[in-house]
Amino acid sequence: MTGLMVPIEDRRGLRKLADSEPTPRGPRSGSPLKRVGRFAGYTVLIVAALALFAPFIWMVMSSLKTANEVFSVPVTWFPEIFVWNNYVQIWTNSDMLTWIRNTMFLSIVVTFLQVLTGSFAAYGFARIRFPGRDALFLVYIGTIAVPWQSYMIPQFILMSELKVSNTLWSIVLLQAFGAFGVFLMKQFYETIPEELSEAARLDGLSEYGIWRRIMLPLSVPALASLGLLTFVNTWNDYLGPLIYLRDPNLWTVQLGLKSFVSNLFDTNYALLFAGLTISVIPIAIIFLVGQKYFVEGLATSGMKG
Amino acid sequence: MATTTATDIAGTDVAVGPSPSLRRRRSRLARRNALIGWSFILPNFLGFALLTLVPIVVLFYMSMTNWNVFGTANWVGLANFQRLVGDGSFRIALFNTLYYSVLHIPLTFVVALGLALLLNSKLRGVAFFRTAAFFPYITSIVAIAIVWNLLFSPDYGPINEILRAFGFANPPGWLTSSDWAMPAVVIVSTWRDMGYYMILFLAGLQTVPRELHEAARMDGANAIQRFFNVTMPSLRPTTFFVTVMLTINSFKIFDLILVMTEGGPGQSTLVLSQFIYTKGFEESQFGYASAASVALFFLCITVTVAQFLANKRRSA
Amino acid sequence: MKRKFVAAAGVAMVATLALAACSASPATESAEAGGPVTLSVSGWSIATTPEFQLLADGFEEKYPDVTVELKEYDPVNYNTLLTADLAAGSGPDIITQKEVKFVSTFQEGGQLVDVSDVELPEGIGGTEAYEIDGASYAVPYRQDSWVVYYNKALFDEAGVEYPDGTWTWDDYADLESELSTALAAKPAFGGYQHSWQSTVQGFANAQTPKADILSGDFGHLEAYYKRVLGMQDDGGQVDFNTRNANQLTYQGEFGKQKAAMLPMGSWYVATLIAQQASGEADDFDWGVAPAPQYDAKTTGIDNVPVTFGDPTGLGINAAIGDDKLQAAKDFLAYAASEEAAQALAAIGITPALLNDDVVETYFSVEGSPSDELSKFAISTHETLPENPTSTKTAAIQGILGDLHTAVMSGSEPIDSAIKGAEDRVKNEVGLD
Repeated sequence: MTGLMVPIEDRRGLRKLADSEPTPRGPRSGSPLKRVGRFAGYTVLIVAALALFAPFIWMVMSSLKTANEVFSVPVTWFPEIFVWNNYVQIWTNSDMLTWIRNTMFLSIVVTFLQVLTGSFAAYGFARIRFPGRDALFLVYIGTIAVPWQSYMIPQFILMSELKVSNTLWSIVLLQAFGAFGVFLMKQFYETIPEELSEAARLDGLSEYGIWRRIMLPLSVPALASLGLLTFVNTWNDYLGPLIYLRDPNLWTVQLGLKSFVSNLFDTNYALLFAGLTISVIPIAIIFLVGQKYFVEGLATSGMKG
Repeated sequence: MATTTATDIAGTDVAVGPSPSLRRRRSRLARRNALIGWSFILPNFLGFALLTLVPIVVLFYMSMTNWNVFGTANWVGLANFQRLVGDGSFRIALFNTLYYSVLHIPLTFVVALGLALLLNSKLRGVAFFRTAAFFPYITSIVAIAIVWNLLFSPDYGPINEILRAFGFANPPGWLTSSDWAMPAVVIVSTWRDMGYYMILFLAGLQTVPRELHEAARMDGANAIQRFFNVTMPSLRPTTFFVTVMLTINSFKIFDLILVMTEGGPGQSTLVLSQFIYTKGFEESQFGYASAASVALFFLCITVTVAQFLANKRRSA
Repeated sequence: MKRKFVAAAGVAMVATLALAACSASPATESAEAGGPVTLSVSGWSIATTPEFQLLADGFEEKYPDVTVELKEYDPVNYNTLLTADLAAGSGPDIITQKEVKFVSTFQEGGQLVDVSDVELPEGIGGTEAYEIDGASYAVPYRQDSWVVYYNKALFDEAGVEYPDGTWTWDDYADLESELSTALAAKPAFGGYQHSWQSTVQGFANAQTPKADILSGDFGHLEAYYKRVLGMQDDGGQVDFNTRNANQLTYQGEFGKQKAAMLPMGSWYVATLIAQQASGEADDFDWGVAPAPQYDAKTTGIDNVPVTFGDPTGLGINAAIGDDKLQAAKDFLAYAASEEAAQALAAIGITPALLNDDVVETYFSVEGSPSDELSKFAISTHETLPENPTSTKTAAIQGILGDLHTAVMSGSEPIDSAIKGAEDRVKNEVGLD
């Protein structure tokens, strides 16, 4: 494109130079004292990680107990007998596959639309000056400031009039056009030097071209985080599907599980936890696989003003 | 990034001085920019306006009626707001929300940023730790509430066991005590949110040019100096975003508290969102609940606008 | 740009409001009078709450022209979802009244049809809950009341005689303490009290003469709370904070024999039988005793014990088509009839109509207790409402709920909590 972009080989070289810099905490391995320090640091990190996983571990352990065993005084971590049947029950007796399919559909479509329209709109806010822009942006942010349950009823009436209530599209419409994505991407676009777009304009690229060829590739970490957070939020969303998806074959995992394991007075928590454990696996996989994209950006050349 | 010069199609800077042909060109340019700008915004805006903006406008209207969802909405003007001012529970909810936010916002910010800095490396195993930091956010909120309730159990829970081992004869009652319930909630909430904001910071840290770090290091700056003079300034768009989202989300906090304490013991953890929910859905006073929502909105907006202005000033 | 946008928003807003105010027409086609008709009935946890399907099947058999469709709702958020549906005009034809405290709101909002003309069998309980301004707006099909479950095996182990129904609350407290000491080695407690506010307040409100929460006076709660806190301190039962921290369930505590006595609603009978059959609860002999009384005036099987409980009923959506109205009223009449009561009793539900025949059927279910006291406890009681029918009930109950958690957790002493609650009612609810 233009000669202003740092050529790939140079970029890699720069990156290697940067990578050889050790993390801010640990100095280069060397003296025994520093090695002990690093070992201690790792131990602290592992203990901290265990603390972070602890509720999840307890949940998985409890999913293998009988319903009345889950809660007791004192707390038990290990089940008396391992009730693997909980998992079998979820898979065979409940509609888990339907729920997973619905949730997958929603999460993927919402994430795609949110990332697409959000980054698209963010470019308009970040790069194009037009009257009323800042005020409109403030309106966007303002809507985040209102709790959802406050306007849930008027919104529900509106959706029902549009005849999309009780269809999967209601959730898509609800989540895909939020202000969050626009806000996030706008902030990231502001870190990209104007000079790059200037040069591209000089080369005759339209604004749309700039968005596609310059902004998008340079904001991979932001797109990745927006995508992941949107995916997780849609996957775990409970209240939205509760209100809009009434038909049992439209249910998402959270909805279906809740209904499967509980009636008015009673919730079979062991079963619930089994289902929730199953539900967490896709997200965990996506996160593990996708997280390198948070840190894998293309290094911008040293043109920060 | 604010410019005081206009940029025309040719890419050259044009001075801000009036001349008829220039004015014509600039108005044509302004119109063209508006058109292009709107073309970008429109796809998102259409969905947003219809599905979010319209219901919110209705909400504002509702706040000045006495709607109970089923009957007609009778206009009452500012009566709901007057009632809010005199409502003891509203004042408690407002105070608790501010109390929660003042603790939660800086704590989460610092922890999330620290985690991001720590885990912004290619060391082996860092993927595991990042996943660990994010796990609380994806764990079911029901499981979180249950486990932390157990941990905080005043007589049998491990946290107080440890405190007692360290010599505190009378450890706090945590979720069972009206004095300590809110701090306990803040701890859990920070634990849950830090992974979320860590991701945003991680992405933001990628925009910090490594060349600047190199240059600074070669100039003899140590890690702390580099952090404050290179990292933080470059991170400003991200810190602004995180601060605004963290503030708004803190003011709006609802589901975690509902599942952990339901606003109790007594009203010690009652926050505005729960007040709104109770008035609206349990007592069917939607007009009044809408007024409380508008109050919450203004609280958020005031703080957000202040943050906006502060950010604009620093970026100019 | 902005002006046009505001104008558009204004139009949309007015449109939405107009729709909301009209509570749009139901999406049902009008059939010719007498032709086949479909009625939708709201229910919750349909798979695990068999009463709805039971009523639907029974009614369809009697009225072959009518199809009954069950609309499933989430049990915990039932009212929120129902409200949303009614507001959007997609509510069910027959609205199941899950909680009495919302009846007034529905009625005030014009959502319920006057059903005073539906014929009800004699002796049916729970109808007062649905009477507003002299007219009836729903029909009860089920009435729960609170009793005490006791574990005969644990009583035997402790060497204590079974309850005989002549106890007051002070007797209950003493008994609990005695049992706890005897069973300390198991370990088991004398009793288990669930965390709901109703476990204390329900009894206090119903049993204290002249107590009325709608009056905003809560002094009558003091005696009950002092006693309960004493029972906790005595070690007679698990304390509130531990119960909450460990999320104990009453099914778990009683079913796994960790407590010898349990005050609970009559719905637990069916659950306990089912859990004993499936192995989720231990296999032990148990019985039901009438609730302990305020004083000796109402104790014993020669008197009528006073307890509390709310009915579950069915109302008719005011937006129902004229052609369906008669079928809907027929459904209400059927649900309250003796026929339906027999069917409900056979699956362990306490119907609103509790005559001798129905009680016989109730206790013929396998696994139910067979002693006379249990039969007495289930069939003979004066059941006062837990939630009086009024638009103020929901708000007052909320305030009392906060009082409950504050006092039981030890965060606030009972007298200042009562004063605080009374002030809150004056300030937030208003008394007129």
